[in-house]
Amino acid sequence: MTTITQNNKSFFPSKFLQFYKDRTLLAILLSLFAVMFVYGIFFTDNYLTITNFKAIIRDAALYGIMAIGLTFVTLSGNFFLLSLKETASICGVTFAMGMATGFGSPDLVGNFLVSLLAALSVGVLSGVIQGYFVGMGGNPIVVTLGGAGILYGIGAWWSDNLVINFKRPHDAEWLGTGSFLGLPSITLAFILIAIAAELVLRHTNFGRKVYLVGANKAAGRATGHENFSMAIIVFTICSVCCAFVAVAFVAQMDSAQSNYFSAEFGSSGDMTILVIATVMVGGNSIMGGYGSTLRTSLGAIFIAMVDNMMVLQGFNSGPRIVGVGLMIVFSIIVFGLFAKGSRAQE
Amino acid sequence: MENFIKKVTKDVDLSFAILLSFCVYVFFSLNIEIFFSHNISFAILERFAVLGLVGLALTICIIAGEIDLSIGSNAALCAVIVVKLTDPLGAPFAMLIGLSVSTLIGAIQGFVIAYIRIRAIVITVGTLMLLRGLALLIAEEKTVMLTDFRVPDFITTKVLMYFSPASLTVIFIFICVGIFMRYTKYGREIYAIGGARKEALTAGIPLRRPMVIAFALSGFCAGFAGTVIGLKSGTAQGLGLQYLLLAGTVAAFVGGVSILGGKGGVLGAAIGALTVNFLNTGLVFYALQVHFVQLFTSVLLVIVIVFQTMSRVFDSRQSRKSLLATIDERKTTLLEKKRTVLGK
Repeated sequence: MTTITQNNKSFFPSKFLQFYKDRTLLAILLSLFAVMFVYGIFFTDNYLTITNFKAIIRDAALYGIMAIGLTFVTLSGNFFLLSLKETASICGVTFAMGMATGFGSPDLVGNFLVSLLAALSVGVLSGVIQGYFVGMGGNPIVVTLGGAGILYGIGAWWSDNLVINFKRPHDAEWLGTGSFLGLPSITLAFILIAIAAELVLRHTNFGRKVYLVGANKAAGRATGHENFSMAIIVFTICSVCCAFVAVAFVAQMDSAQSNYFSAEFGSSGDMTILVIATVMVGGNSIMGGYGSTLRTSLGAIFIAMVDNMMVLQGFNSGPRIVGVGLMIVFSIIVFGLFAKGSRAQE
Repeated sequence: MENFIKKVTKDVDLSFAILLSFCVYVFFSLNIEIFFSHNISFAILERFAVLGLVGLALTICIIAGEIDLSIGSNAALCAVIVVKLTDPLGAPFAMLIGLSVSTLIGAIQGFVIAYIRIRAIVITVGTLMLLRGLALLIAEEKTVMLTDFRVPDFITTKVLMYFSPASLTVIFIFICVGIFMRYTKYGREIYAIGGARKEALTAGIPLRRPMVIAFALSGFCAGFAGTVIGLKSGTAQGLGLQYLLLAGTVAAFVGGVSILGGKGGVLGAAIGALTVNFLNTGLVFYALQVHFVQLFTSVLLVIVIVFQTMSRVFDSRQSRKSLLATIDERKTTLLEKKRTVLGK
């Protein structure tokens, strides 16, 4: 009897610690959430209103969807793409071109479906090409840095670096400004995509393969899952997410320009870095094989909350960027220290 | 002739870099009449003072097996500090403060990377944003300007037809870093942790020292580039200079570094930076928009990456072939021996 209780005693804390260790960052994030929330209620005007929360989630949705796509790339051990905003911008330009000019044929002007398909296929194309180079053994950072310049150059060349406007009553309005059950459609899309991505990663064969290849490339190769096909698939998923965000954003603005996503966007002034920050603040291991899209979604909401609060407090963009930057560096260092010597590292 | 072929094939990437830069230069010289002239050479060297340094910074990091994404932000921060402090303190003092801040930031990054043992790309994405925010904060979200535009004259006056004090200093830095990387123990350590990290650590090289040195050097170079840009134009912005990352990476990769680390050198960095400068300067004459410059620079990067990957694949195939050939040879000799022995 005594031995059993002793066993139980020693068993319980170690298991508890293990649980805590695995979820440290999640726990820290949730407690920071709580602190922020309480601080917001007491010290910020207009914080505890439904409109404000809707605004937070709407902000989070735009880069959250891209970050969910990027999570696939990160989990599969291919670091991240530096061409996120350029992919988004070329897809946005494609969509706006379709809506405004119908790609040359007058019958197609304002045809939502054709424009959407064109934008998505541009996203697929850029994802496949970049994924091919990465799968061949190129470094993801360098390949996507080059890809970023090329995509931006083509997008700007095609649109002549001008703003492309299209007429206000159009088929895509429901995606940009419409709402359903009191929530903006982009928010609903964010929630649906987050749930779908989580289900895919947890419960499908493909999702487990992503984790396997990310955690151990050699083991993946030995079991017949080359990084080559994996890189192409995850890069395509990520690029399609970018294309979707671009279409939603362009549909909301009724216009597109090649540097819509390069100009000041949200808190950071740079969409790409903001999305990468979202993935990191959520506590996904950048080396791959560890993390989930749930963390990414929470990270997106957290960044949007911090940003929203700083805006309400009247901060300029400088302190806001410093805040987000500090958050990234903090989460990286904490994660690195906790992961030292454990499976989540390299 | 044989000697020459040996030299070329010994470092294929460097030879390719020289060939590429030669091709770009000749192309523009043939198409633009005044490209091959004293003034254009001066302009190219002036650009080299900026781009060469960024290329050098990234080259050092990539030799150490890491990549520093925060280079543009670091340069912007240094530019803002220098331009802002030039009025109250005078240019030399402001430069001193700005450069030491940049170097310190680099050293801290290197220390964190070596201490936690994470990849540099992870932490430098964070510092990219952090430093950009700091630069904005210091500049108060405005464009900082010099009030007296005669102050930076001391770095832009022409000397010896082709040079200015800025480009002379940069060439001096290149020579110093080259000697440091090639002939000192600390420089060789940077190569060692880049080329074969595990082996180097097992051989007793501490990870922290070379990492801190490499990132401090790269921070210094980025800061110097920012200083030159800031003083020359007399203005600085917190959100500016982000294009330096692409240009510097292209320069480093054209110069023949390998992303796997431990390869490449200062000479390659100089040639790579010159190639990018030829391209940028040449494109000026066609009066193209900015995005075309970005497009062509990226195409250059893709060409170099494809070449490097191809040559790597070719190398591994060749070495496998030669291995198989030696095995075959041994087999046949053994068989012959056996035959002669049995024949006797």
